[in-house]
Amino acid sequence: MLKKLLKYDLKSIFKFLIIFYSLALFFGALTRIFLSIENSLMMNIIGQICSGTAISMMFSILINNLMRLWVNFKHNLYGDESYLTHTLPIEKRTIYASKIITAAITLFVSVGVIGLTLFIAYYSKENVELLKNMLLPVATAYGSTIVKLLLAFLFIVFLEFVNALQAGYTGIILGHKMNNVKTGYSVLFGFGVYIVIQMIVLLVLLIISLFNPDLMNLFITNQMVNVELLKGVIYLTTIIYVITFIIGYIVNVKLFKQGVNVD
Amino acid sequence: MELVKCTDVNKKFGKKHVLKNVNLTIPRGKIVGLLGKNGTGKSTLIKLINDMLTPTSGEILINGEHVGVESKKIISYLPERTYLDKTNTVDKVIEYFEDFYENFDSVKARKLLKDLELDTKQKLAKMSKGMQEKVQLVLAMSRKADLYILDEPLGGVDPATRDYILDTILTNFNEGASVVISTHLIADIERILDEVIFIDKGEIILQSNSDELRKKENGSIDEIFRRMFKC
Amino acid sequence: MKFEFDNNIPIYIQLVEQLKIYIVSGKIKLGERLLSVRDLALQTKVNPNTMQKALMELEALGLIYTERTNGKFVTNDQKLIDKYRKECADELSNKYFISMESLGFDKIEVMEYLKNLGGDK
Repeated sequence: MLKKLLKYDLKSIFKFLIIFYSLALFFGALTRIFLSIENSLMMNIIGQICSGTAISMMFSILINNLMRLWVNFKHNLYGDESYLTHTLPIEKRTIYASKIITAAITLFVSVGVIGLTLFIAYYSKENVELLKNMLLPVATAYGSTIVKLLLAFLFIVFLEFVNALQAGYTGIILGHKMNNVKTGYSVLFGFGVYIVIQMIVLLVLLIISLFNPDLMNLFITNQMVNVELLKGVIYLTTIIYVITFIIGYIVNVKLFKQGVNVD
Repeated sequence: MELVKCTDVNKKFGKKHVLKNVNLTIPRGKIVGLLGKNGTGKSTLIKLINDMLTPTSGEILINGEHVGVESKKIISYLPERTYLDKTNTVDKVIEYFEDFYENFDSVKARKLLKDLELDTKQKLAKMSKGMQEKVQLVLAMSRKADLYILDEPLGGVDPATRDYILDTILTNFNEGASVVISTHLIADIERILDEVIFIDKGEIILQSNSDELRKKENGSIDEIFRRMFKC
Repeated sequence: MKFEFDNNIPIYIQLVEQLKIYIVSGKIKLGERLLSVRDLALQTKVNPNTMQKALMELEALGLIYTERTNGKFVTNDQKLIDKYRKECADELSNKYFISMESLGFDKIEVMEYLKNLGGDK
C-alpha cells in the first residue's frame, strides 16, 4: 500500500513543481545562450536578466517544494480530501511514512534540478576553476576534498530542510487538534517546534561546552577556532539533527494515530 | 456479532456536547434510516464510525473490532461534501479506487456512470456540484461492502433525481449488506427503510422497525417524526 | 410490476394487498414461478427484507408456496384463488356501498344506479 500511496503523493507534488523545474531549466538555458554571444551589450543585458530569473526560479523551487508539501499534507489529511485519505484501508503510520518519503524524494530531486540548472547556465572551465580555487583552501583546512565538503554541506542543508518540514507537519497535526483557528495554531505550533529543535541543538552544544573548554571558547571568544573542533561540532550537529528528526517522526506518528478530527 | 455497536459514545467539541451517551447497534442485512433535523449529530455519529472523528468517550466496534483498517475495508462511506481532488478526471478517480479498494468493481462503476451519461474523461472541476455528487454516489455503491454509510445522499438534489438516487442505492447495494442513510428528508426515503433511528440534540430517541412503528403510531414515519419533534 | 405506496400504511401490508391482486386477477398465472425476492424487490422498488416479509405473509395465506431449491411459485389451487378473489371483490364492494351511502344512496338505489350506468355503455 505504501507504494501506491507514494505514487499518488509524488504525482501530486511533482505535477505542481514541474512548472518551476521547466522554468528554471528554460531560463538556465537562455542564460547560457545569451551570455555566450560575445560583443553584444544588448545580448549581455538579456543574459543577465535571464540569469537573475533562473536564480530566482531555483529559489522558488525550494520554497514551493516546501510550501507544496505542507499544503498537500493539510489538504490530504485535514481538508476535504481527508474524507478519502482517512477512509482508505491503510494504517495511519503508512500514510505518514508516505508523506515523509515524498518530502525526501521531492527535495532531493529539486536539489538535483537546481544543480542541473546551475550546470546548464554557468558550467565552463573557468567557472569550475573559480569554484575550485574558492573551495580548495577550505577543503584543505578541513582535511577533506571539495566533493566531500560539498556533499557534507548539502547533507546538512537537506537535514535542516527535512527537520523544518517535519516541524511544519507537527504544527499542522497539533493545530488541527484545536477546536478553532486551526490554521493559525498550525503555523504557530510549527514555528514553535522548529525553534525548539534549534534550541535543542544549541543547548546540547552548550552543555557539552561546560565540560569542554575548547568548545566553550567557540561561544565566548572571537579567536580562530581549530579545525578539528569545528569538524566535531559539525558531526555533532548532524547527529542531533538526525535524532531530532527521528524523534519528530515517532512523535508525529503517535499523535497522528490518536486520530484526526475533521469538521 | 453486530455489524456496528456503539456503547456510551460521547463527543464534545470544546464545550459543545454534540453526542450524548449514544448506544446503538446496526444489524446485518438491513437498510437503516438515521433521521434527525440538521445539526443534531447525525454526521458526527457517521464520522465517528468512519474514523474522521474520535470519540471523547465510549466505544465503537465494527464486527467486534475497533475502527481501523479492517473496518475501512468493509465500510463504503459517502460523505456529505465533495471530497475528491477536482483536478482529476473521473477515470483517474476510478483508477485510484481500484488501487486502494479490493472490493471496488470498476466495471459496475463505469456502467452506472454511463447510465447517468457522465463523461469519465471529464475533470471533476468542470462538473456541476450535482454531477460530482452523483459520481461520488456511484463510487460508493460500486464497492462490494458489508456496510454502506450514506450521509445525506439526497441533500442538494431535485426531487426527480432523489428517486433515481434511491433506486441506485436499492439496486446496487451488496446482497446481505447493511445500508445506513442519514437524512432530514424522511418522506422521500422512508419506503425503503427496514429500521429507523431518530436522533435529536445528540441523543438517540428511538430505534425501531419502520413498519412496526407505522402500525403502532398509525402514520407515516415522516408524520411520526414531526409529531415527536414538532417541526 | 409498478407499485405505488402510501407511507402511512406499513409497506409490507400494501405489498401483500397488491401482490394478492396480481395473483387473483391472473396477471401472475396459476403455478407460475416468481422472481427471486431480490429481483421482485428491485422491480417494485422496495427493500428486499420488506418483500421477503410480504411473501411470507402470502405463503401463510396459501397463495404461494416454496419449493426448496427452485424458488417460490403461485399456488395451483384454483378454488383458493377464487376464494381470495371473491374476498377482494367483497371488500371493494363494501367500501363502495359505504361511500355511496354517505352520498345518500340506499342499497336498492345503488343497484339501480349501477344498472343505468351499465346501460349507458
